[in-house]
Amino acid sequence: MQEEISHDDGLVSAARDGNRTAFGRLYEKYARMVHGILLSRVPRTEVDDLLQDVFLLAMRRLPSLREAGAFGSWLAMIARNRATDFHRSSQVLMELREDALTQPALRPEALAILETIQRLPEAYRETLVLRLVEGMTGPEIAERTGLTPQSVRVNLHRGMKQLRENL
Amino acid sequence: MNDDYLWDKSGEPDPEIVRLERLLGEFRHKHQPLQTAVARNWYRYAAAVTLVIAAGAWWLLPGEPRVSWDVASVQGAPRVGTNAIGKTGKLSAGEYLETDANAVAKLEVGKIGEVTVDPNSRLTLVKSRGNEHRLSLQRGVIHAFIWAPPRQFFVDTPSAVAVDLGCQYTLSVDDSGDGLLTVETGWVAFEARGRESFIPAGAACATTRAMGPGVPYYLDSTEEFRDAIRTGNMRSASALARPRDAMTLWHMLSRVPQAEREAIYTQMAAIAPPPNGVTREGVLALQQPMMDQWWDSLGLDSANWWRKWKSDWRQ
Repeated sequence: MQEEISHDDGLVSAARDGNRTAFGRLYEKYARMVHGILLSRVPRTEVDDLLQDVFLLAMRRLPSLREAGAFGSWLAMIARNRATDFHRSSQVLMELREDALTQPALRPEALAILETIQRLPEAYRETLVLRLVEGMTGPEIAERTGLTPQSVRVNLHRGMKQLRENL
Repeated sequence: MNDDYLWDKSGEPDPEIVRLERLLGEFRHKHQPLQTAVARNWYRYAAAVTLVIAAGAWWLLPGEPRVSWDVASVQGAPRVGTNAIGKTGKLSAGEYLETDANAVAKLEVGKIGEVTVDPNSRLTLVKSRGNEHRLSLQRGVIHAFIWAPPRQFFVDTPSAVAVDLGCQYTLSVDDSGDGLLTVETGWVAFEARGRESFIPAGAACATTRAMGPGVPYYLDSTEEFRDAIRTGNMRSASALARPRDAMTLWHMLSRVPQAEREAIYTQMAAIAPPPNGVTREGVLALQQPMMDQWWDSLGLDSANWWRKWKSDWRQ
C-alpha cells in the first residue's frame, strides 16, 4: 500500500503541474471508486454524468490539495459532496424521471438488490457497492478511499449482515 | 458467513456473495460511450415541456439551447470570429476561433474534456450535441485531453478525421492541409476515405491530403525506421522493425500492393509470429478475422475494445 501511495504522490504532483498524462492515470485508477460512491447515493442513470463532473471538479481543484498522498480520500469526498449537491438541486426532477425510458432492460432482481443496498446506512452501502458492484477487495477499498482497513472490514461485515436480513 | 471471501476474495467463496456479485456486476463502471448531460436528460426536458403544455402556457416553451463552449485566453488575444475575447468568451457552433503568433486559448469541450489551441491556429466548432462534439482544425496545433469514454470527440482536418478513443493527444495541421497526430495516453483513430489507422499512446501518425492517414509508428522506434515510414518505403521500414513495431507492420499489410505484402508478412512473422489459425494465405488475402486475430496477439493494451468502438463510430 505504501508503494501505491508513493506512486499517487508522483502522479498528483505531476498532475498539479499540468501533466495531463498523470491526471489521466489517476482517472483510470480511481474511476471505479468514484463510480461506486456515486452509485451508492444517486439513481444509477445519473452516475455516468456525475462521474465526469467529479473528475472535472477534481482537476480544477487539484492545486488546492495540500497532501498529495490524500488524493483518494479527497476525491472520495468530492464524489460524496457532488452526490449531496445532486439531491439538493433535483428534488422535483427526480420525481419526473422514468428510468425505463432511458435504460436497456435490467434484471428486476438486480435492481431490487441495488435499491435495498441504497437504503442501508451510508457507510455500509458505499462499502458494499464498492465490493459487490465494482468488484474491489476490502484492502483496495481502504487504499483508494483512505478509510482504515478495520473500518472497511467492519462496514462490509455489518453491511452484509443487514443486506441479508433485508433481502 | 465466509468473511475472508467478503473481505479480499480469498478462501472458500460464499455462494450468496458470488450470486450478488454476478447480479450486481451489470451496474459496474464500464468504458462505454456516454452522452452529455443535455442528451441524457432529454426525458426531463420532455417532462417539463409536457407540464407546461398542460398548464396552457405554450408560449413558455423553451427553444433549443444554443450550444457553446467556454473559451479562455491563456496568452495574447485569441479571437472568436473577428472579435478578441478578452479573458473569457464563448464559441458557438459555426463560429471559428483563431490565434495569432502570440495567442494561446483553452476550450472546454462541454463536460468531457479540454483543448488547448496553440499560436497561429484556426478551428471551427462544427457541432456539440448529444454524444458528438466535433471541431474542424483548418491549421495550427491543438492539444486535446478528453476524459469521457471514447467516440464522443472528433476533429476534422483537411485530410483525415481524428476520432478520440479516450485519450490525450496533439494534432497539427500545416498550411497544405497535411497533419500529424501524436498520442500521449489512450488511443486515437485516424480515418479518411476508407483508410483507418489506430494510434496507441507513444505513437504518431501522419496524414496527407493526397493519401489520407499513413501508418502509425512508435516515437521510440529508430530514426531509420521512421525515415523509411515518412518516405513511404514500407519494405525498407519493415526490415528495420523491432518486435514492438509489429503494430506498424500490421497497418502496412493493408496499405501496400499485393506484390509487396508478402515481404511485409515475412518480416512481421519474424518479429511477431502469427498465432495458431492465422495463415500466410489468409493474411495476404487480408481476411479480416485473421487480421484481427493477429492484432489481438500483439499484446496491445486495449486490443479488445478498439475494434468494438471502431464498429460503433462507423455506424
